[in-house]
Amino acid sequence: MLKDIIKKEILETITSAKFVFTFLLCAILILLSVYTGIVNYRADQKEFSAAVALNKKNLESQSSYQALAGLGTKINKPPQVLGAISTGVDEAVGRVATVNVAYDPNLVDSKYESNPVFSVFGALDLTFIVKIVLSLFAILFTYDAIVGEKEKGTLKLTLSNRVPRDRLILGKVIGGFISLLIPLIIPLILSLLILLVYPNISLAGQDWLRLLLMFLMFFLYLSVFFTLGLLVSARTSKSSTSFLVLLFIWVIFVTIIPKLSVMSAGRLKPIPSVHEITAKKDAFLQQIQSGAQKQVMDWAKENSAMAAKDRKGYQEKLKKFLEDWQQDLTSKIDENNAALERDYQAKKKSQERLAINISRISPASALTFSTMSFARTGLDEHERFLASIRAYKPIFTKWANAKMMRTIDFSGSGQTAKVVLDDMPQHKFEPETLSKSLARTIPDFGLMLFLIIVFFAGAYVSFLKFDVR
Amino acid sequence: MLETINLTKRYEDGQLAVDHLNFKVEPGEIFCMFGANGSGKTTTINLLLNFIPPTEGTALIEGIDVTKEPLRSKDFISFVSENVTLYGNFTAFQNLDYFTKLAGKRGLTKADYAKAMNSVGLQEEAFDVRTKNYSKGMRQKLGLAIAIVKDAPNILLDEPTSGLDPKSGQEFLNLLIQMRDKGKSIFMSTHDIFRAKLIADRVGFMKKGRLVIMKTRQELEGEDLTELYIQYMEERPESELKP
Repeated sequence: MLKDIIKKEILETITSAKFVFTFLLCAILILLSVYTGIVNYRADQKEFSAAVALNKKNLESQSSYQALAGLGTKINKPPQVLGAISTGVDEAVGRVATVNVAYDPNLVDSKYESNPVFSVFGALDLTFIVKIVLSLFAILFTYDAIVGEKEKGTLKLTLSNRVPRDRLILGKVIGGFISLLIPLIIPLILSLLILLVYPNISLAGQDWLRLLLMFLMFFLYLSVFFTLGLLVSARTSKSSTSFLVLLFIWVIFVTIIPKLSVMSAGRLKPIPSVHEITAKKDAFLQQIQSGAQKQVMDWAKENSAMAAKDRKGYQEKLKKFLEDWQQDLTSKIDENNAALERDYQAKKKSQERLAINISRISPASALTFSTMSFARTGLDEHERFLASIRAYKPIFTKWANAKMMRTIDFSGSGQTAKVVLDDMPQHKFEPETLSKSLARTIPDFGLMLFLIIVFFAGAYVSFLKFDVR
Repeated sequence: MLETINLTKRYEDGQLAVDHLNFKVEPGEIFCMFGANGSGKTTTINLLLNFIPPTEGTALIEGIDVTKEPLRSKDFISFVSENVTLYGNFTAFQNLDYFTKLAGKRGLTKADYAKAMNSVGLQEEAFDVRTKNYSKGMRQKLGLAIAIVKDAPNILLDEPTSGLDPKSGQEFLNLLIQMRDKGKSIFMSTHDIFRAKLIADRVGFMKKGRLVIMKTRQELEGEDLTELYIQYMEERPESELKP
């Protein structure tokens, strides 16, 4: 009997106009989004390779280490292949950071900076389609699953037979969910095929696992709205009421909670502005620079006798002094800036965590955070990348200072040392491992499972007591 | 056989929908229950189908207490509602097949279904048509075909002829007569006194949840059923009503 109910549910849905419409729309949107994502990734990849080559060329063409230290090296953020599925914050945050001896590095030049209009609409990635479009379809498929049958009279006819209610609701859940998954699974399989056959797109073993986990999150997310639809359908007496209630909850989940959580976190945990931090950094710089100038003058006074006696020895001593002085100066500035930055980042992170945790009440936020984590396009990955650049800055500075000071020309010949990059330390970044991403998404998995169980149990119990009249 | 013993239903808002109802429908009998809207006819059917629990009393189908053994009791009853809508995207065949399987009947062929649909007067061209394109009369006939295939000994009909054109209504009644002749116990709630008069073996009048009078076909002979209906549906003290 369960099989008959499941079969009927599937057949009834797939022969309906709403299914045909849903299937076509899903197929078009999903394939379009994945294809666009891949094309964008390829473009980003080319841009990244070109930027890396250009940076190398620029560094090599510098006339001196002084010029190189001032210009700095550019660190480009490599594009993520799974960004084609979940863009995350990648388009909103910067893609390139300049690391030089003077300033704190920061990622700038985001896609939204170049084209602010895109930030208004956001990306049309697969996560967006599942989050907005497919969740609405889940509602469309379930709002009348129970109350609609009551209105049609088919529920009475069904229950006038030897049909246990628990089996009927189970059959409706299984059959209905399979019907909902068909418009998702077929385009998803086609998308995977595109990923497989598209030239120059290679997914590592871990990427496939990440992709499967993202798909699992999509299924869980849709299950939340599916079971919610059943619950509301079993708790209302009119399908129009059921639809309105579901639409209201959908708006709350998908738009209100995520926005409110950011606003609430801003109020609950305010952080200093970027300008305040910059002002503090500038004040310290001024203070330390005036002290440093005095240090040089004092050294010159102390060693003036030696300058007259042993010019060469004096020059060597001066070089050594200047190198130490420069290293000391920059490390003090770096330390101060790093401390200010650490404090600022800690406060910012705390505010972000609060916003994220509040917004996690909504399954839409849980879906966004988890898929971003799996795609390595989330806030955490961005911060890790930025932290790796900031950790690289003192390493680069030390190397550049050493090179600058060791190559000062006191002979007045006008010749400068040729820039050699062989021993220049390289920036390294290890992307987050799958186990860490998984650990990060446990609350999202947990929340979705919790909601599914609560909504399903609610629907089940409500249907057992449902007034079929 | 259908039977109610002191069957009573009082809703949570205090409304007494069925008040100590006692009747029996024997095999091979059509029992028509009249009553104004809200008199308790449909509530009685809902109680017999165990869609709602009784406040007091018992509803029996083939001697089975529907509240104690609700699932088993449903093996012995077919139900045709006022407005059989079925699954609109399914054809008549598909609807019939689904409900037959729910009724626990297996192994029936398309020919068996076609026979049942033919017997209720559905044209063969309509068998593969989606039922959303059916007229009300066709849907009622299909509802009856479902009941025929289930072949339960008892049939409950909730105002089955309302909204049917005269021809469809007459055809429907003929089918009920055929089923009665096969020994089915048929309980029909209706407002349609003209059609009911033609087929009822017994009639009952419900008022404010109570069965105020019950008459056999013989007792009705020479009576004007219309006048009787009006008399009983009017707001008069029961003492003034003609026995």
